[in-house]
Amino acid sequence: MGKEMTLDVLSSIKGAKASQVVDDLFEVIKKGHIIDNSPSNYSNLNAVSIDNLRPDEVIKSTELERNLIIENFPNEKNGFLVVPKVIEE
Amino acid sequence: MNSSIKALHQRLQQKEISCVALVQEKLDLLNSSTYNSSNYILEEYALKLAKKVDQKLADNETIGLLEGIPFGVKDVYLLQGTYSSASSDFLRNYKSPYTATAIQKLLDAGAIPIVKENCDSFGHGSSSENTVFGAVKNAIDQNKVAGGSSGGSAVNVAKNFTTFSIGGDTGGSIRQPAGYNNVYGLKPTYGKISRYGLMAYASSTDCVGPIAQNLEDIQIVLNTMSGLDYRDQTTLVSEPVSDESLSRPLAQGTKIGYYKNFIESDALSPTIKADFKAMIAKLEAEGMEIVPLDFFDASILVSTYYALAMAETASNLARLDGTNYGVRETGKDLKEGYSITRSENFTAETKRRIVGGNQVLSQGHSEEIYNKAQQLRQQISHHFDEDFKKVDVVLSPVTPNPVPEIGNNLKNPMTMYLSDAYTVGFSLGGLPTLTAPLAMETGVQITAAKKQEAILFTCANFLKQVV
Repeated sequence: MGKEMTLDVLSSIKGAKASQVVDDLFEVIKKGHIIDNSPSNYSNLNAVSIDNLRPDEVIKSTELERNLIIENFPNEKNGFLVVPKVIEE
Repeated sequence: MNSSIKALHQRLQQKEISCVALVQEKLDLLNSSTYNSSNYILEEYALKLAKKVDQKLADNETIGLLEGIPFGVKDVYLLQGTYSSASSDFLRNYKSPYTATAIQKLLDAGAIPIVKENCDSFGHGSSSENTVFGAVKNAIDQNKVAGGSSGGSAVNVAKNFTTFSIGGDTGGSIRQPAGYNNVYGLKPTYGKISRYGLMAYASSTDCVGPIAQNLEDIQIVLNTMSGLDYRDQTTLVSEPVSDESLSRPLAQGTKIGYYKNFIESDALSPTIKADFKAMIAKLEAEGMEIVPLDFFDASILVSTYYALAMAETASNLARLDGTNYGVRETGKDLKEGYSITRSENFTAETKRRIVGGNQVLSQGHSEEIYNKAQQLRQQISHHFDEDFKKVDVVLSPVTPNPVPEIGNNLKNPMTMYLSDAYTVGFSLGGLPTLTAPLAMETGVQITAAKKQEAILFTCANFLKQVV
């Protein structure tokens, strides 16, 4: 904790660095003017209200769906997904 | 009859053509196409469904309006058992385990998907050049771009390779390629059509929508795909767009707004500016009330949209690490494996957006960029609420400039981002917006308040007659 995460670590992309063109877009935001009397409610947000969440339930997928998921495994052994080895740092 | 769907339906029903022959004709066109508009042609899949329709017709059963109608699907939608690559190397061999709700509704109505269509990888682009399947060529001039990200879909419709196609629009990805290829394209109100089974780019603005050669087909397909979905909780209760919306005249005195700064901008092509002004003059002469409106600077709209879209795509694409599906490259340890996998299998533009998104969400930046962009978005939405108290529709050009040549967009990303200046604002507001191939080289964009799709059709129909 406390260690600064660089962009290549955050993105899991080798050599990732901030680009000038994206920085230029962000500069416009930094200088953007927020009107003090802007509405404080978030009724326009495209998000689901927590009062309206669907039940937390398990829906079993079909056999065809399960087979296709297995077919998509990058590495498979006896019908199981082989995951990369995790090495603790 | 303008509707291609209704015309084909009649021919099928009256046995003037078999469904297999109809589908085969389209498949042949796709197979011989030089437009790079198709990633996967679903020959076996489509012909199997066509044979079923022919059997029903042979048994003298009635068929539904969409039954047997061949259509295209942007390659970001899942269709069970078929490849869905998002035009990326990462998912080139990924098979859809299930079917997107919007596509399933079309399948349930009997429509036949015949092609997964080329597009900008994960929707990241405005020209359909950011794809591992080769740049899509414009339907009118093959030296020019198809637009994007739903470029393959717009070209297939324009060339009549598909009767209609399903695109995806996050910041203009249906409207802009529709304009570039001279066809109709609709981005509905956010939430009108389920996003379940659409590979997410920016979830808070992603919309499913139809592209077609005429308004009637847009209406039929829109009504088929709309409605609540248990699997997408942002979906809305939806009223169908009535047939009358397409036939009734636009009432005299309808208040038509336009954004002054869009039209007075030096960045707007002189030809598009002149054509827009000529259109407004004709509408005024027809008795419409023209209302000039103030709006946010285009640079604020583009920057707000991209800051939020990049943040969302960085989060959405974090799941692509080669663990469960897609390509997996191995490294000396887990983290290096992730890193090699992602570095080698995302395109340069996708990586730019992921990195930008992580930058905007990282400590220190999130307050001054991400949170501020969210506040700006609220202001933009509020502005729209106020504008649509004053006007019934807003008209604008689809793009500030004519269709560019292939090869220039990816060299200059800022030019590409700014080409979205007139579409992204309406995406941030979640508003319904229709591109009609009228009045200007890249078409006219008609926008209404949320859930007011019907007036878009009435207005487009009117424009068709007067401009």
